[in-house]
Amino acid sequence: MYEFQLIQSTGFRNHGPEGARDGVEVRLRLPNYRGMRLSLLDGIDVTLDGEFFSHEVTSLILGGTVYDLAAMRDATTVRWAMGEHASVLVPKPGGLLPGIHHVKVAALVRSPYFPPHLQPLPVHGERLATIVLP
Amino acid sequence: MEDRFKYGVSLYSFTEDFGSVMSIEEGFDHIADTGATGIEILGETHVTGYPTPDKAWLDRWFGLLDRTGLEPTNMCSWVDTKLRLGQSLSVEEGAAELTRDLTLAHQLGFKFLRPKFGVISADLVPDPIWAPAVERVLDLAHKLNIVICPEIHSPTPINHPVVHGYIDFIERTGTKNFALLIDTGIFQDRPLKSWVHEVPEGDSDHAKLINGMKVNPEELVGIAPYIAFIQAKFHHIDDNLHDENIPWEKVMPVLKRIGYTGYLSSEYEGVREPWVAIDQVRRQHVLLRRLEAACDAVPA
Repeated sequence: MYEFQLIQSTGFRNHGPEGARDGVEVRLRLPNYRGMRLSLLDGIDVTLDGEFFSHEVTSLILGGTVYDLAAMRDATTVRWAMGEHASVLVPKPGGLLPGIHHVKVAALVRSPYFPPHLQPLPVHGERLATIVLP
Repeated sequence: MEDRFKYGVSLYSFTEDFGSVMSIEEGFDHIADTGATGIEILGETHVTGYPTPDKAWLDRWFGLLDRTGLEPTNMCSWVDTKLRLGQSLSVEEGAAELTRDLTLAHQLGFKFLRPKFGVISADLVPDPIWAPAVERVLDLAHKLNIVICPEIHSPTPINHPVVHGYIDFIERTGTKNFALLIDTGIFQDRPLKSWVHEVPEGDSDHAKLINGMKVNPEELVGIAPYIAFIQAKFHHIDDNLHDENIPWEKVMPVLKRIGYTGYLSSEYEGVREPWVAIDQVRRQHVLLRRLEAACDAVPA
């Protein structure tokens, strides 16, 4: 089961080898009320303690595979299913210090049945979340 | 009695609960306890392993139907015409999406399939592949005994070229496997008090969506033969059992008068919080059943 909030508590962690962290993982629930093919997701903006990372530089880890924006747009047969977690990989050398951080995300979701000028629409999440390990 | 409405609930009502504080088992139980006889789902949301659930999930599904006595009514699906940036789906690809969902809907025992087509304009004209794509799967729908029903949903009113196009299609093909689904949100005649929707403020449709389309329920009379299913959309029923947005006291008598005997499938779409929808759905069922009883008490 998901935590209710878009940004999950569990899974918020540093990425890469200990002592040589190269990024931060922000785990999300599906940012949609229906499962969707990954090509309908146009990337995810992330802000960590006020530092902005565009959807053009973040990537998504889904089912053990890492998708950058171009790979996401090509992923017309990959599904992000309801109930499945995925993590946004934020390129931040050194990662974050253990402690409480302010995290904001905007998942850009294309819903083909919405008017063309509303595609994609950002699905927002914002919260305080805790990094446990350095 | 045969001329009574049938009552169902869409699991979509529990969108804010499902997956975090509610499992599919609990969803079935909440629906069955209202006295409803039908369950409606969204394929991509509620079928684990969509579009090809494994045997364990299928056993669970049929076990839940047995235990609760609910019958599958409508399965909602999407034809994602803009799956790719810059290149819309072809007719063949659209037909393949429909085939995928007809097959799954049949496997799960559904009688109706609501495909939501991608659109090409601000006033929600569906991608023109809809007609040839649907035409290619009509034989399959017939064989599987499923009625494909696009939904008439705010901000599209009843009297609109999109709806005329669907009716022309039914008349031209003579099919019994394509009909209209009415979402009662089109009758909303008072503004939503608390609603955070995907459509941002300032958008041209924002006012329509917040204040309501105010379609006159009498307009159902003109399309009566084409109506196959009704999603009983609502947003808030207060502590006095009064719906703050949908004028059920006007809608229900018209449905009686046109002889509709299909499903009223509850679709709660209110505040985006968990633990609200379960009781809201129960309130709606009391309200609708009371109104139906009052209609039936009046001699025809």
